[in-house]
Amino acid sequence: MKPFAYVNAANEKEAIAALGPERGKFLPVAGGMDLLALMKDYIAQPDRLVNVKNLDKAIAKTADGGLRIGAAVTVADLAAHADVARMYPALAQAAAEVGTPQIRNAGTVGGNINQRPRCWYFRNEEFDCLKKGGSRCFAVDGENQYHAIFGDGPCHIVHPSSLAVPAVALGAKFRVAGPAGEREVPAGEYFLMPDRNLFGETVLQPNELMTHMILPAPGGAKSATYEVRYKQSHDWPLATATVALDMSGTTIRGARVVMGAVAPIPWRASGAERALAGKAITEQLAMEAADAAVQGAKAMTLNAYKIQIARTTVKRAIMLAAGLKGNWA
Amino acid sequence: MPRRKDEPGFSRRSFLKTVGAGGVAAGVLAKAPAVDAQGVNVLGPGPVPVTLNVNGQVHRLEIEPRVTLLDALRTRFNPPMTGVKRVCDRGACGACTMIVDGKTIYACSTLAIEAQGKKIRTVESFTQGTVLHPVQQAFCEKDGLMCGFCTPGFVTATVALLEKTPNPTAEQAKRALDGNICRCGTYVRVLEAALNSGVKRG
Amino acid sequence: MAKQQQPPAPPPAGGGQPQQQVQQPPAGPPRSWPPVADRVLLGKSIKRLDGPDKAAGRAKYSYDIIRPGMLYGEILGSPHPRARVKAIDLAAAKAVPGVKAAIVIKDPADPAKATINYQGEEVAAVAAITEEAARDAMRLIKVEYEVLQPLATVEQAMSPNAPQAFSSGNVSKVNTSAEGDVEAALKTAAHIVEGVYATQVQTHTSLETHGGIAEWEGDKLTMYVSTQGVNASRDGIADALGIPKPNARVITEYMGGGFGSKLGADVQLVIAAKLAKAAGAPVKIMLDRKHEHLITGNRPSAFAKVKAGVDAQGKFLAWDSETWGTGGAGQGAGFTVPYNVYVFPARRQSHRDVYTNAGPQRAFRAPGHPQACFITETVIDELADRLRMDPLELRMRNVQPEAPNYQWKKYFPIGAEKIGWNRRHPTGDATAGPIKRGLGCAANRWAGGGNRSTRAMCEIQPDGSVTTKISTQDIGTGTRTVIAMIAAETMGLPLNAVTAAIGDTNYPFAPGSGGSITVGSVSPTVRVSAENALKELFTRVAPQLGVTADALEAKGGRIQVKGTPAKGMAWKDACKLLGTTPIQANGEWTQGLSSVGTSGVQFADVEVDIETGVTRVKKIVSVQDCGMIVDKLTAESQMYGGIIMGLGFALFENRILDRNTAKMVNPNMEWYLVPGISDIPVIDITLVDQPDRGVIGLGEPPVISTAAAIANAVSNATGVRIRKLPVTPDTVLAALQQERAGGTL
Repeated sequence: MKPFAYVNAANEKEAIAALGPERGKFLPVAGGMDLLALMKDYIAQPDRLVNVKNLDKAIAKTADGGLRIGAAVTVADLAAHADVARMYPALAQAAAEVGTPQIRNAGTVGGNINQRPRCWYFRNEEFDCLKKGGSRCFAVDGENQYHAIFGDGPCHIVHPSSLAVPAVALGAKFRVAGPAGEREVPAGEYFLMPDRNLFGETVLQPNELMTHMILPAPGGAKSATYEVRYKQSHDWPLATATVALDMSGTTIRGARVVMGAVAPIPWRASGAERALAGKAITEQLAMEAADAAVQGAKAMTLNAYKIQIARTTVKRAIMLAAGLKGNWA
Repeated sequence: MPRRKDEPGFSRRSFLKTVGAGGVAAGVLAKAPAVDAQGVNVLGPGPVPVTLNVNGQVHRLEIEPRVTLLDALRTRFNPPMTGVKRVCDRGACGACTMIVDGKTIYACSTLAIEAQGKKIRTVESFTQGTVLHPVQQAFCEKDGLMCGFCTPGFVTATVALLEKTPNPTAEQAKRALDGNICRCGTYVRVLEAALNSGVKRG
Repeated sequence: MAKQQQPPAPPPAGGGQPQQQVQQPPAGPPRSWPPVADRVLLGKSIKRLDGPDKAAGRAKYSYDIIRPGMLYGEILGSPHPRARVKAIDLAAAKAVPGVKAAIVIKDPADPAKATINYQGEEVAAVAAITEEAARDAMRLIKVEYEVLQPLATVEQAMSPNAPQAFSSGNVSKVNTSAEGDVEAALKTAAHIVEGVYATQVQTHTSLETHGGIAEWEGDKLTMYVSTQGVNASRDGIADALGIPKPNARVITEYMGGGFGSKLGADVQLVIAAKLAKAAGAPVKIMLDRKHEHLITGNRPSAFAKVKAGVDAQGKFLAWDSETWGTGGAGQGAGFTVPYNVYVFPARRQSHRDVYTNAGPQRAFRAPGHPQACFITETVIDELADRLRMDPLELRMRNVQPEAPNYQWKKYFPIGAEKIGWNRRHPTGDATAGPIKRGLGCAANRWAGGGNRSTRAMCEIQPDGSVTTKISTQDIGTGTRTVIAMIAAETMGLPLNAVTAAIGDTNYPFAPGSGGSITVGSVSPTVRVSAENALKELFTRVAPQLGVTADALEAKGGRIQVKGTPAKGMAWKDACKLLGTTPIQANGEWTQGLSSVGTSGVQFADVEVDIETGVTRVKKIVSVQDCGMIVDKLTAESQMYGGIIMGLGFALFENRILDRNTAKMVNPNMEWYLVPGISDIPVIDITLVDQPDRGVIGLGEPPVISTAAAIANAVSNATGVRIRKLPVTPDTVLAALQQERAGGTL
């Protein structure tokens, strides 16, 4: 780790004042689960860290019946929160599967949403990859078994956040605060593909902070997250999916289907959503929607298997959200 | 055990030795926080005062902000506190597990400067004199340890589990211990120890 | 490298440690263990003596020791797997405050010594007063490299267009052997299986990384080393430094795992000693996790092209194989197929080591065996499929005839009963739904044995305390406890009355802890030294009791006359007779107390989700012998540990090199996947005690057959053959895909 200065910001205002406009120079630190590893590997070499753990760490009901979740809420507290579990089971399920107990105890919602990719070329300083300002993506003709099956590059990372997937599926907004004031960004617009932001993964400017995740009232929506990992203990998902269904009896009025670990951003499966809309839920329909979800997936040299796994996560998340009994457990 | 500054017999010299270990690398003496153009109080990057409450004792160090909680205990305390191990140094193995404000954390991925004002507990705190904690006792009786390098982390994670959930199911225990890696393969007996520590009886 | 003749000699354990010792005629009078009925400690479940120190965090490993004035060393490893060092500039590193020494390791002036053959190979090193300063300085060392095209894979190395990266060529000479007429035998075969099989590179991933502390006092060097062999470490480091061996001392009170990777003299200590000399202060070097993965050894990959034939009755006829594998930038990728548990009357084998630009292999828990076992046991299941025969039945028809160390015929039915083999369905679970269940099995063998050069000294103090000194080390296997148990048993004392002093080259010689020979080396020697010490004590006591020394026995904390227990004295009173002079009795390794050869079988019960390719192991059954069990508790732990490491090899672990740069992309514990507690199935172990065979090591056998049993179970579940490890979702889904496209089953 390079030496750095430290600012213990007492609140949002102080934190923003302590950040700067230059990318990578002054970085916010919350749980540090991602950032410290990046710094130890010299991928991040900030001159200053700004503690943002004193930002809002409350989970509060909003006036319209949703929840407003402070970025400093830990993943463990999110997973254990009764309202979250009741209103947004897909979010609680995703939170419970993040990392390990120690990571969930220290890691925050803001940190999880804004963590950097786990791509092993990006995280190794010996590979001067596109994302680090280099000239090529080493995954293209290299070891891409965990890389993207959607998005078509030029950088082939998969987005690492498990919470980002339900955030998009549940129609969350992120409150962003900066020197120029605050704004709310729909989760579906918060994450940017590499062609729009190669050196980051979101709309966040270096002197801005994501301070809250704001979830709309769930209404009658039923949601579920299904994740496939290689190891059952600590591991990253090979693919994950969150499905939110607006049901009327057994009929799906509308659906949001989002896949994770398959693209540089949480990947909205509009084809699957169309396949589900207006239909009565059956296992066959879930399968058809899952097929539609992976339409357009494009395997790299070593990751074709991820298409099948992504398909399965969608199918099972649909069935779980709809309350259909699965035959896989 | 490190002693508090106000304790009788405290040696000024040993205190300075602790200071020196962290301070000389950056070649500067500890400074009061600087204030930048935006009026922000900036600490470091050179050594700064850091006060840690570890196992009920206060330790005052002068260290750079980049020193992790794990390294502070292992290399800056006097005497060093080395029960907690450094294995992956990236928050992936659990050998550095400590309990901070009642929750397990990876000390390799926590800055010492950020652990100030918190109640930090390490494996060293569980033994009362020479009497092992029931969890430690159970690890010995069930042979839930082999080379022993992961053991302090597993013991700490198990203590934290049982303080919150005195009668865990096997599934609960596995989930609580999923952040720790053992290479010798003690898991079967670690689980037996976690489920039979005697904590629930006592 | 493994020899390719039959019967196969298991490959050497590496690190200069012979894997098995030919047991020579006894050095002294015949020795024996007490009759089973009289054993107080031996064979019982005894808690390990260092458990409390480990569980309390009090145990000081080399990583934990801080010596007065100690500096921290950092080694700069080459980022390039194949290169030549053209220039090194240490000036900027030396200018970092707190840096006390900086040295060049790859001397650009000497082209022969400036070559880099693998990523992480040592280039230069620094020592400073903090780790942070040392790391800062290490990163400021300026090195100019001539970067050369590396060989990342065996395919690249074997390609006719490959650059010649190694002076001896990229591929070793072919090592061939043959027995019988393979061609003729295959012509008569009712069924022939042909396939290509592959296993991955596995790294040891010891939790305590390699390294230690070097501290000079004049021309004497004391080192605290994380090693499996204090003597080999001392000798090798002294040689590398050009100092007399007696001037060097290695201390290893505790060490955090080695699994074969810590048997030799480690370069980290040689460098630490040089830095310590230059700085005039002790220097500690412990590798970081990345370099631990890169340079401290691995289990080589294995590839086999096999053709095997069986007759219509299920008798194996012939085995024909071409094998290769890479142990990186060095030899040692040999393994012996067919695995010598089964009889193939006609055999023809050829093997080549392939050299690549990756860290050299080292002995890894049963070198060569898990690979050979996986390949052979998979071929056998394929033959069974062709015969439409129960694969267990096929094994029973072809397994080696019974012998004390060849017990498979007895163990297979025991394991089958425990796993519920009778509910096994033919290959391919026909039940509906994506979750498929399957069973598989495999066998293992290992030699073990003891090193006849082993020596020990037993001291009895006038205050009654007993210490056994021996320069073995406890690598987590429980050796310290075994030594104390044997000394206590021999002297009729409680366990807490004796001390095992180990892990120091100042004590009498013991071999490195590799090849499962530790317990077979140490146990007889400790027994003999304790008996010799006791005999001396008897000579002091005998006149007091008016008997001859040979009429005495030590039992229950007393020295007493055999057959007349009332006539005797308490141990402490007996020892008072020593006055001020303790007894110091030497002991040599002696025949009759240990043996060679273990056998075992394992069964796996798995669930495979064919919609995700994810395998979950539900249960492993293991039936295993290890001669006379010394400590049942720690022996069982060896079983669990070996099986769990085998499970990691089966499903998860894989050192992945970028195919274009030969750099490892997963040198961490995030993407190098080691099993966690939720990945552990029910493990049902049966440890077969053979009290009349003497002591035999158990460290290696249990790791051998787990992967083979799991892979066969996955094939049984899915109906598609798994021919490579690890059994990843990718591998399973690809195999299923191939099957749909018209596979081979």
